[in-house]
Parts: sequence; structure tokens; C-alpha cells
Amino acid sequence: MSALYDLAVIGGGILGSAAACRAAEGGMRTIVIEQQTLGSGASGVNAGTLSLQIKRVRLMPYAIKGHELWERAGERVGFHKTGGITLAFNQREADLLHERMALKREAGAPIELITPARVAELEPNLSRKVVAASWCGEDGYANASLSGAYYRTLLEAAGVDIRERTPVTAIDRRGGAFELATPAGPVRATRLLLACGAWLRSAGAMIGLDLPVRARVNTVSVTERGPALVGTVVGHATGLLTLKQKPNGSVLIGGGWQGTGSPDEGRSSVDPATLLPNLRLAMFAVPGLDRFRVVRSWTGFEANVPDFYPLAGPAPGIDNAFLLGCVRGGYTIGPYIGALMGDLIVGREPELPLFDPGRFATEASAAA
Amino acid sequence: MAGDLRIGSARTRTVSFRFDGEVLTAREGETLAAALYAQGRRTLRISRDDGGPRGAFCFMGVCQECVVSIDGRLTEACRTPVHDGLVVESMR
Amino acid sequence: MSDYDLIVLGAGPAGAAAAIKARSLDLRVAVIDEAPAAGGQVYRAPSPALTATQPDADRARGDALRARLAASGAVLYANHRVWSLTAIFSVIAIGPDGPLTLEAPNLIVAAGAVERHIPVTGWTLPGVIGLAGATILLKAHGVLPGRRVVVAGSGPLLLLVASKIVAAGGEVVAVVDAAPRTSWLARAGAMLARPDLMAKGAGWLLALLKARVPIHSGTAIRAIHGTDGVESVTIGPVDRDWRPVGEAERTIAADAVCLGFGLLPSTDVTRLLGAEHRYEPELGGWIPAVDTSLQTSVPGLFVAGDGAGVRGADAAPLSGELAALGVARRLGRGGDLASEITKVEADWRKSGRFGAAMSALAMPPPGAAAMIDDGTTVCRCEGLSRATLDSAIAGGARTLADLKAMTRCGMGPCGGRVCGEAAAMLIAAATGWDREAIGQPSARPPLRPVPLAAIAGAFDYDELPIPAPAPL
Repeated sequence: MSALYDLAVIGGGILGSAAACRAAEGGMRTIVIEQQTLGSGASGVNAGTLSLQIKRVRLMPYAIKGHELWERAGERVGFHKTGGITLAFNQREADLLHERMALKREAGAPIELITPARVAELEPNLSRKVVAASWCGEDGYANASLSGAYYRTLLEAAGVDIRERTPVTAIDRRGGAFELATPAGPVRATRLLLACGAWLRSAGAMIGLDLPVRARVNTVSVTERGPALVGTVVGHATGLLTLKQKPNGSVLIGGGWQGTGSPDEGRSSVDPATLLPNLRLAMFAVPGLDRFRVVRSWTGFEANVPDFYPLAGPAPGIDNAFLLGCVRGGYTIGPYIGALMGDLIVGREPELPLFDPGRFATEASAAA
Repeated sequence: MAGDLRIGSARTRTVSFRFDGEVLTAREGETLAAALYAQGRRTLRISRDDGGPRGAFCFMGVCQECVVSIDGRLTEACRTPVHDGLVVESMR
Repeated sequence: MSDYDLIVLGAGPAGAAAAIKARSLDLRVAVIDEAPAAGGQVYRAPSPALTATQPDADRARGDALRARLAASGAVLYANHRVWSLTAIFSVIAIGPDGPLTLEAPNLIVAAGAVERHIPVTGWTLPGVIGLAGATILLKAHGVLPGRRVVVAGSGPLLLLVASKIVAAGGEVVAVVDAAPRTSWLARAGAMLARPDLMAKGAGWLLALLKARVPIHSGTAIRAIHGTDGVESVTIGPVDRDWRPVGEAERTIAADAVCLGFGLLPSTDVTRLLGAEHRYEPELGGWIPAVDTSLQTSVPGLFVAGDGAGVRGADAAPLSGELAALGVARRLGRGGDLASEITKVEADWRKSGRFGAAMSALAMPPPGAAAMIDDGTTVCRCEGLSRATLDSAIAGGARTLADLKAMTRCGMGPCGGRVCGEAAAMLIAAATGWDREAIGQPSARPPLRPVPLAAIAGAFDYDELPIPAPAPL
């Protein structure tokens, strides 16, 4: 008979790891089971943008807390608070910018509108075709590539067991405990947290849930190292561009342009038809990029539900099972909402409310 | 290293080009990497990481060690034919 | 409907043969190569500036291949660098006149091989070049690697490069072969099957002996010294597992080093397109899994030449023909091709035995990781030492993706094509795992660094297809 854990977390990304750490700190014997390696999914391959200007209004309090946590992690995650500028290049985009930034400001983000002349002062290498812009001094970025290594240290310090390269193939309930089948043998736990991002749908199905989870396929590109062009995080009024230059001179270009593929296929690919406008938008915003070479474009899955708010709370109809994922802006918010989830699991009242997965008409059937 | 490492005879005309301001000659059509290497200009850049000199390594467009700047654009010297008046800057 | 039945990537001996065969079966064929002319590395066209000093068999073969390809009616896009590939099958390349997009239902990847490198201290100095690079300098450009050259590493390129330097009037001060002399004998069986090729190798060896070139077997470079370039090279013995043992033997004054440890099949394209691969050390490492006509697990995606497993230039044309036959059969063209496919496959397997034996000879055993000192730069692009990579491995890195995330190893412009195998050897050495267990790096576009301006081209901002903004 294998050991009985208090909590088994499926998914070793930021969300699952942060929840596991909090649960372990609360005295629970915890294990994280990851199909690949820690932080190898969306947590590790996203663009690392920390921008309150692109966060949803309702998630702003969570995002502000997330920024604080990343800032505290500091150098270990390559954190840089640079401030960020969001650009509009025509009147339609300017209207959108004005409307959205006003609401985000009301929600607590220290965002101000700035003139094109001010943009040119702050970032002389940006396009002169800016018609409107906003600024947020709290914005910046961290290095998503370091998510796995960072959480490995935290998990180990918290005494969480880590099992990597271990896909969970089935989940049963036996004698009041969950039994997770893996190629390395079964794992038993009294509580279960599914935090496996784009694979939530298939993991949910193992406990009889039909979760309305869809995966977006976000594209990110990086250039080789080049001369200094921009110091702040540069965005676009529509949210379809994020761009920052790392201290080493490489430029990271994102914005949520969609590649192809799905979690079920097990792979995703860059689509040149969307990469092209993504790169054109970047070049339009920062004309000096025409002297840079792209060395790599890649894609990662970002899970979403129809209302684009998180799934974070008890699994509907299944005692002691919990769901966590689909956080829009998950890199920013992940450390915080993961910890809130850990609080819920250990029986503490979370500091801010979670997002009940029961809001969707999910069909829960008692697992065997 | 002294002298010219070219063997055989040229069949195209000699052209001149600039490398970091210095005027050098090459056989027209020769790749920049070969022309520079042959006349002992083997250092094409200084590593930003260790400050050491670097030069062409694979000569087939894979390693990117021979990247130079031509008209402000980065390009592999091993894939760039020399022509008269070419202005080349090394990456510092 | 696409303009072509088949796109061939690479116009070396395998790709050219594939295109010519496919044309003979009346398929519409486009060939893309990044070089200015067909020929690949082995039959690379000489620079237009160069007059050959002496007749060269490879040059003659290359000229014949270029003539046959030109006469075949296949459309050759030379000087085109492929940066994007998507199923089924769209290829985007950057050429002298801007971007080119081609589509076809079948793709033959004949991308050849890249050199395997084991880093040694000082290998970043100017004047240290790859063995394959040395052949390009000598054959295509008529340039000697140096005045006093050390030729080091493993495999048949050692003798080829050294003999070419000698033939061109240069001095080779040492050939340094990590493999013990006996390992050549162990492969004699396969070599005897091709007396012609064996005679070629013996000819190289004879030329070196005649020129009194010292050949050190079971020996490897300990360090390359110099300030602005190569000044001297220290060598020392290695054991049967290529671990340095005992004191360094000697330090040799030299102005250039040609270095390489065999060839690695170029699998960027087949990995990018999601084909299955298997680990085959005798053929250079990871290769695509294929059926009898070299079709991969992705329907319509075929491979040929060294990219299908390093078997050398001699076997390459047959693999190209075999893949072309497979494409024709898939399209239902050329009648009943079954017996021809069987015959060509058998011929190809036979002719590949010699090259595979040569490839296996060059393959470093796991102990070769001990050649890399703690302070040696492994990832040249990012300037990462073995000690840096080892500490990431100690911190949990188990794949090349982990190492990349933690250290940026392979994140630079070469995309890990120079350091990836060495990095995998370090993971294997630290964990005791087989090379196979460490897997392959993921392949992503662009396949080579591409200028943003070249991809983006000219555009009108108002015509960018900007989707609806994200929800508020």
C-alpha cells in the first residue's frame, strides 16, 4: 500500500506549485505530479509580461497582488519593474484605450494617459505614429523560463514531493481517497487539485466532469541580442502586442496571436499567417526592430472557459476535489491565486474570493 | 598569422571592401568569411560574455559566429559574396 | 491545387537525385537550397572567384549533378533560406527577391547533416574551425585553414581534411584522433564491402604518411591556447571511453585547428513537422522513423540523404531516388513501382553500410563528456561554461528544454545546433542516463535566424488583420 497524501496536485505549473506550497506550509502532506517537468507548460513558455494595463478589470486586485509576489521573487525569476506604455495608432484604438484604461484605473491600477510627445521622451525609439498612449509605472516583466526552477526551490523548501515526467492516466476513488494511476505506480491522496492548464478538460473527465475548457495557442517570438531599443514594456491598445527588451539585448514579442494545434494532439505549432501580422505590429511600434533577426518563435497553450474568468474552487459535486486554472493573465496572477487556492484547501478563508467552477453547468457523476 | 592562405589562381577581378574602416581586397564573388579568413582577419567579433575574440567556425550558415553588420543589418559573412564597395562592421 | 507535386528541401546529392527521379516520373518538382548552387556540402559549387588548381573528382561529380538537375525540369530556388514549414505542406523561404511561399502535398527533406562538436578549452578562438567548414574552405574557396594545422576529433573527415591540406601545400602538424587505432579495424568488415571507398581512405592515409604527418590515435586535445587566435595546442591520451587519462603528452605550435566528431543528421524539419524519431547511434543519433520508401510517420513527408541517418554521399542519391519513388507511389503515378522500390531500397541499404560504419567510427562514447573541462565554454552563443550547465543539471535540468529555460543554453542564434549534443552529453554524464533518454531539442521556426524586416516586408498598418480585442 503506497503512502496516503493529504493532497495530490496534478500539474506542476505556477498555479499548482503555488497551491501545493501553501497547503504544505499549512501542514498537509502534499505531492505534485507533472506530466513533463515543472513549469514546462504555459508557466514557462509565456512572454513573462507583468502589465496591469492588459489585465481584466475584475481581476485587477489579484493582478496587483501577483505583481507584489513576483517583485518579492526578484532576481530568482528575472523580475524587472520597468513601467509600461500602451500605444494607439488610430482614433478607433485611441477610443478603446481611453475607455478601457479609465475602468482599469478605477479598479486600482495606477494607469495614466500620456501624450505622444511624452511617449517620445520616454522611449525615443518608438514609432512616431502614436496618437494616444497610457503609462503604468507598476508594469514590467519577469523571465517565465525560470518559473520551473523557482518553484522547484519553493516546493522542495516546503517539503512537497515532486514527481515529474509522470502522466496521470486514471483517477479512481477508493475508501475515501483518490487513487491516481501513473506509469510509475499509483498515488493516493485524500484531496485532489487539478491544476493542469490546458489539460484540465481531460483530467476533469477522469473524475466525471465535463469542463468547458478550451485552449488558446499563444505565439511568442524572440530576437537575438541587439543594441538597446526600448526599456519599458510596450503594448498595443487591443492587447495584441506585448514587447520588451531584456537586459541582454534580446527582444521578446508576444500578444496572444494564435498558432495551431491542441492539447489532445499533444503539440502546437506557429502559424506563419498569424506570426506575420504579430511581427509587423511589433515593427510598426518599434521601427528599429528591422535590424534584428528573429531566432525563435514558439507556442504555448493557455486554457480558458467561456467567460474568460478563472476556474478556482471546489470541483462541483465531488468532495475533496478542487479545480484551478483558466486564469486570464495567469502568469501575473498565478502565484497569488494559487496561494488562495491552497488556503481554501487547508480550510482557511481566502483573502479574496475565488471563482466557483460550479457556475458552469458541469455534469458531476460520482467516480467509481 | 602572416601571408595569404589562398591557393590556386583567381578568375574574377579584385574588388575592395571595408572592414571596420580598413580597406581590404577580395576576389569578386568570394564569400566575405573566406576573404577575411584568407588574409588573416580571423577575428570577426568580440564575445559580449567573455570578452574573447570570435571568428568564423562552420562556414555553412549554422553556427552564427561570423555574423557581421552590413548596412546596419546582421548577416552571416559565410553567406555573403563580396562586391566592390561593400562596407562591413564587426559586432562589438 | 498546388503548383507542385513535390517540394525537395536541399539540393545536395540526395535532394538532387530525388528531384531528378521525380521529374523522370513526370512529377512537378521544386527544389529549395540555401546555397547559391546545387551540390550540398560534399559537392558544393566552387566560388565563382576560384579556378581549381587540379582536377578533383568531387568537383566533376558536382558539376555533373548540377547539369543533370538543371536539365531535369525541376525548378531550383537557390539562395533561398526556409524559415517556416507547416503541414501539408507549406514552405516559406527568404530569397534574394523577398519571401517565397510554395505548397505541395509531398515534401522530401534532404537537409543533410551538421557537425557534432565536443567543446575543448580554447575552441572559441579564431582559427579553430569545424572539419566540415575546413572542407568548404578548401574545396569551395581554395583557402587553407592555416600554415600549421592540427586536425582533431574523430571519424573519416580527419583523414579527408588532413590529406586535402597536404595536397594543397599546407602543413598538418598533427592528426589527433580520439578513437583508438583498433576501432578502425573493428569496422573493417563493412569497409571491405566497398574496396573502392576503402582505397580512397587508404589513399588519404598514404598521402599523410608520405608527408610525415604525425597521427595520434587514442588522443584528444586538452586545450587550445592563444590570445587573438590559435597559437598552440596541447594534446593527451584518452582511454577507450575517450576519457582523458594521465598527463598531457605535448604542446604543439599551430595557427589553426580543424575540429569535429562526426556528423549529426539534420532533423529540424522532421521534428518541426511532428514526425516520430528514433535513436540510432550507428547512424549519427536521432533520425526520423521511416517506412520502406523513406516516408516518415507524417503522411507525405519523406526524408533522404544524411538527414535520414548518416550514410555518406555515396548512398545519398539512392535514398533520394527511393523517396521520389515513394512519393510517386503515394500519388498513384508511374505505374507499379513495387519491384523498383524493393530493388532501390536494397541497393541503398547495401551502399549505406560503408558510410554508416564511418559514421559509427566517429560517434563519441559517453565517457567523452570528460573531455570538457569545467571552465570550457559549451554554448558559444551565450558564453556558458560546463560548470554553469552542470549546476543547472544539479538543480534539476533533465532535458535540453530544461537547460535552455534555466541557463539560455541553445537560446542564441545557432539555436543549439552547435552545442546541443554536448549539452545532452553533460546531462547523460551527470545522471547516468543513456543519450536516448534525454531526448531531442524541440524544433521551432525560424529554422535559421531571419531578419525581421525580411519576414515583415512592406505593409500597410490599416491592413493588418487585427482580431477583436481581448475581453475587458
